Amino acid sequence: MPRLLTRLLLGASLMFAASGAALAGKDLVVGVPDNLTGLDPADLNDNLSQSAARLMFEGLYMLDENMKLQPQLAGSFEANEEATQFIFHLRKGVTFHDGTPFNAVAVKASFDRAGNPANHLKRQSLFVMIDHTDAVDDYTVKVVLKYPFGAFVNDIAHIGALIVSPKSVQDFGKEVTRHPSGTGPYEFVSWTADTLKMKKNEHYWKPGLPKIDTITYRSVPENGARIAMLQTGEAQFIYPVPPEMIKSLQNSPTITVFDEPSILVRYIALNNLRKPFDDPRVRLALNYAVDKQAFIKVVFSGHADPMDSPMPQLLGFYQKQGSYPYDPAKAKALLAEAGYPNGFETTLTGASNTLAQRGMQFIQQQLAAVGVTAKVEPLEAGVLTDKMFNVQKPEDASIVMLYGGWSSSTGDADWGMRPMLYTKAFPPVLANLAWYSNKMTDAAIEEGLSTTDPTKRAAAYAKAQAQVWKDVPWIFLSVDHDLAAYSKKLTGASMRPDQQFHLTADATLN
Amino acid sequence: MFDYLIRRLVGTIPVLLAVSVIVFLFVHLLPGDPARLVAGPDASLQDIAAVRAEMGLDQPLPAQYLHYLGQTVQLHWGRSIKTHQTVAELIGERFMPTLLLTVFAMLWSVIAGVAIGVLSGVKRGRWVDRSAIVLAISGVSFPGFWLGLLLIDLFSVRLGWLPTGGYGSWQHFVLPAFTLGVGVAAVMARFTRSAFVEVTAEDYVRTARAKGVPERGVVWKHTLRNALIPVITLAGLQFGFLLGGAIVVETVFAWPGLGRLLVDSVAYRDYPVIQAEILLFSFEFVLINLIVDLLYGLVNPEIRLR
Amino acid sequence: MSDVALSAPSLRSPAGEFWRRFRRKRVAVASGCVLLLLILTAVAAPWIAPYGPAAPDYDNLLAGPSWQHLCGTDTFGRDIFSRILWGGRISLTVGFVSVALGGLVGVALGLAAGFSGGVLDSLIMRVMDVLLAFPGILLAIGVVALLGPGIANVIYAIAVFSVPVFARLVRGSTLALKQTLYVQAARSIGVRAPLLMLHHILPGTLPSVIVYSSLRVGTSILTAAALSFIGLGAPPPSPEWGAMLADGRSYLGVADQIMLFPGLAIFVTVLAFNLLGDGLRDALDQRLR
Repeated sequence: MPRLLTRLLLGASLMFAASGAALAGKDLVVGVPDNLTGLDPADLNDNLSQSAARLMFEGLYMLDENMKLQPQLAGSFEANEEATQFIFHLRKGVTFHDGTPFNAVAVKASFDRAGNPANHLKRQSLFVMIDHTDAVDDYTVKVVLKYPFGAFVNDIAHIGALIVSPKSVQDFGKEVTRHPSGTGPYEFVSWTADTLKMKKNEHYWKPGLPKIDTITYRSVPENGARIAMLQTGEAQFIYPVPPEMIKSLQNSPTITVFDEPSILVRYIALNNLRKPFDDPRVRLALNYAVDKQAFIKVVFSGHADPMDSPMPQLLGFYQKQGSYPYDPAKAKALLAEAGYPNGFETTLTGASNTLAQRGMQFIQQQLAAVGVTAKVEPLEAGVLTDKMFNVQKPEDASIVMLYGGWSSSTGDADWGMRPMLYTKAFPPVLANLAWYSNKMTDAAIEEGLSTTDPTKRAAAYAKAQAQVWKDVPWIFLSVDHDLAAYSKKLTGASMRPDQQFHLTADATLN
Repeated sequence: MFDYLIRRLVGTIPVLLAVSVIVFLFVHLLPGDPARLVAGPDASLQDIAAVRAEMGLDQPLPAQYLHYLGQTVQLHWGRSIKTHQTVAELIGERFMPTLLLTVFAMLWSVIAGVAIGVLSGVKRGRWVDRSAIVLAISGVSFPGFWLGLLLIDLFSVRLGWLPTGGYGSWQHFVLPAFTLGVGVAAVMARFTRSAFVEVTAEDYVRTARAKGVPERGVVWKHTLRNALIPVITLAGLQFGFLLGGAIVVETVFAWPGLGRLLVDSVAYRDYPVIQAEILLFSFEFVLINLIVDLLYGLVNPEIRLR
Repeated sequence: MSDVALSAPSLRSPAGEFWRRFRRKRVAVASGCVLLLLILTAVAAPWIAPYGPAAPDYDNLLAGPSWQHLCGTDTFGRDIFSRILWGGRISLTVGFVSVALGGLVGVALGLAAGFSGGVLDSLIMRVMDVLLAFPGILLAIGVVALLGPGIANVIYAIAVFSVPVFARLVRGSTLALKQTLYVQAARSIGVRAPLLMLHHILPGTLPSVIVYSSLRVGTSILTAAALSFIGLGAPPPSPEWGAMLADGRSYLGVADQIMLFPGLAIFVTVLAFNLLGDGLRDALDQRLR
């Protein structure tokens, strides 16, 4: 009891002491919606933790804010024609935060660790195609693949392949997720409860950078509270900003709104094996029944773009397919033709967050206008994933219409299509929740993976996109915008199209 | 006294055991696969199997329970599925913020509640009484998050007097502690008044009055002390509820406490954290009841402890 | 809440006496009238609401209060005033039905525990303790997760909340009533236990149960709103007040009316229930005049 009392008093006094010290120096506070899950790049799958890890770690290659491949710790690479062998030439004179030199041995150790199934790391699937990695000399790494994989450089530009100091892995083992050590512009300081602190890496390999002293990630789940934080100057960058709040921030003289297209597509996966959605006319009818412009206006307050291909524009090898314009009369005619002149009843399932519920309600209203009665079923995350993936046979699927979204985390066309539109991606393997299967599409997706030749890949994905667009496995809705807001004192901050906070190495805060 | 304490503490064991079984079944029967949730939507089956093996979820349920029980008895609570932090550490760093918030909320609300209650008890039936009661009852009638957001909008955004949320200086405590305490203050006020009025009707108070003890003396010495007993009980109960029930306030004010941790853990199906936290809450609840009983003895030594 | 305040109800006071005393509680009577009005408008919503509860108007999004739309419109251009009227049906139903369900189970358990005593008593009350020790919101998350979303499941989830409190309350009164002269007398002339419980003890516990129920309805409406806040409440497009409020929170500063009016509706309703319950309690317990 006395000890508890002491702790209480201590806690209280610390609290009072802390109030004076705030706001000193150039501290960039980033307001984010959730807590981090870890900082070991090979063991992360949420955008938030990944964006934090990106400030501390670097990869051989990276995707820049426009999703373009850029060399980072590698200067260049060579690959053979079959896409089975890749040689990377590494940058010299780079050291990890813990003082370990960066070299070919470190790269090999990093890849070997992340890809070893015994380590149970969440991103091991990024490395399944690797047969072995060799350190040819101090600054040359050769990766040999088991089978051709055209998207390999994109693959290792993924956050899961960022290079971790081999010494830190030795010292901390699994705990490296709480003791991150990379080569990035910022060094880890502390991570407690909902606050992550980082400081400038004084020995960063780009001379004179970075310019911001410290960065603090603070998790603030409530949208309104996060916005208030920016307005009061407690934070300099916040994301996401709910689309309906953009208007209220646009007029502020001290705040800049970030509003750019992302690579997150919104669609409704229709169960293609189940009546009535097994009839392509029904699926086509529903695409005509939904007014995409109104959807964007109502649900996203205008801050989104209509989908015009199964892939978002910013993904490599995207090709515009056209549109299914709003035409309820045509929708009704198609439904009648398919044998549903009076529509039918169905259930629309999705997440339980506000935005998803709003989207589903809008779809419900639109379908009602063509005689389709959809019950909206918002589910808590755990239950939803269970319903989606805990399915052994396609006939057992309990979801008939899924309000979903997808963002290719590798930034490559392959991951933008294969997980949802490939026959071998039926749940529980991956997320083909439309149970869409077409041999032409499958062949095109496989073709795209089997070469590094950009023209061949482009042709393959053009074929795949056209086929999917024609088959209408989904109701194609929209492409989200990345919405964030930041203080005018901050430069070099933005959102990447994959919904991650991005800070250029030369970012400044005045 | 010491015997009593021991007996009471031993008596909590079956309750805690029952809670541990219920919680275990609860989290494991809840639909939702933590491995799938942790591995993310675009994880491969290998990735998911890796996570599942890592968490020991590939074992049969009874084996998992026994393992969990064995670990819990040794105070090994395992690691969070979500963050790999040890559960003890995780709960440890969330405990102080919640405790401090609860203490501050209790402090102001009990003082204000008792003061309002006594005032309206003394001025029974007058307009002071009536308006105090309506005020108090208004307090319990607010949806908590509505009040919280309105307060942020007014005091943080429009007036700029207080921070919007987060944990740090004393300013950070004002709005959440107020929001959290409003309901308690109301209950305390209402309750103090009843207890006060009830005691006033007792014989010894009437005797004291008849003896000519001045009114103020009657209020302070005879009435209040005895009225305090049920008030303490209620305050104790409320404290228990607050410790576990600050979920909404912690979410609105971005408070890094146990309530938010619980909601996050449920969303992630973070089994070890949910189990440990609920056991902790149940233990706290039992402990608070015990402390309340002990306090009775302090306030009125005539109450014997069985 | 403060069930401890309810001492064993006086059996001597007939209904007339109670009514006479209740009538003098002006605040409580006024609250009762407000509630009556709320119930009436909820029942009459289909006839008096100017718009349908789910009728969208995409040309009139997020409009402020005006003569066309007394409380403005929401994201879909739906009339908030109409939705509040319609929503009253749901929120009040959730409140009443969940309390009735929880009360029924709780009263039965409390009666059984208090009357039989011994092992059954300990067993029931320990289970109630465990339920109480379980954070309520978590209980609700569990119920909704297991049963799926829907108004009915929200009602069950909230009913589970109320069970232990009713059980405790009724057990207390039962214990006190068991000792009263007339119950002892009835027992001595051989009245069977079930009959004794139903005819002699149950009626004695009812007044405090009624009072407590009226307080509990308010709490239940608040809990339903909190469930909606964490995304587990009534599924859309239901105009349940909590769901409207939860939807409106993201429009704070842009379209305050979406959050303000349903919040006010909840506040006024819960306040009325609480004030009514408070008055009922005072009228029942003569010592608290």
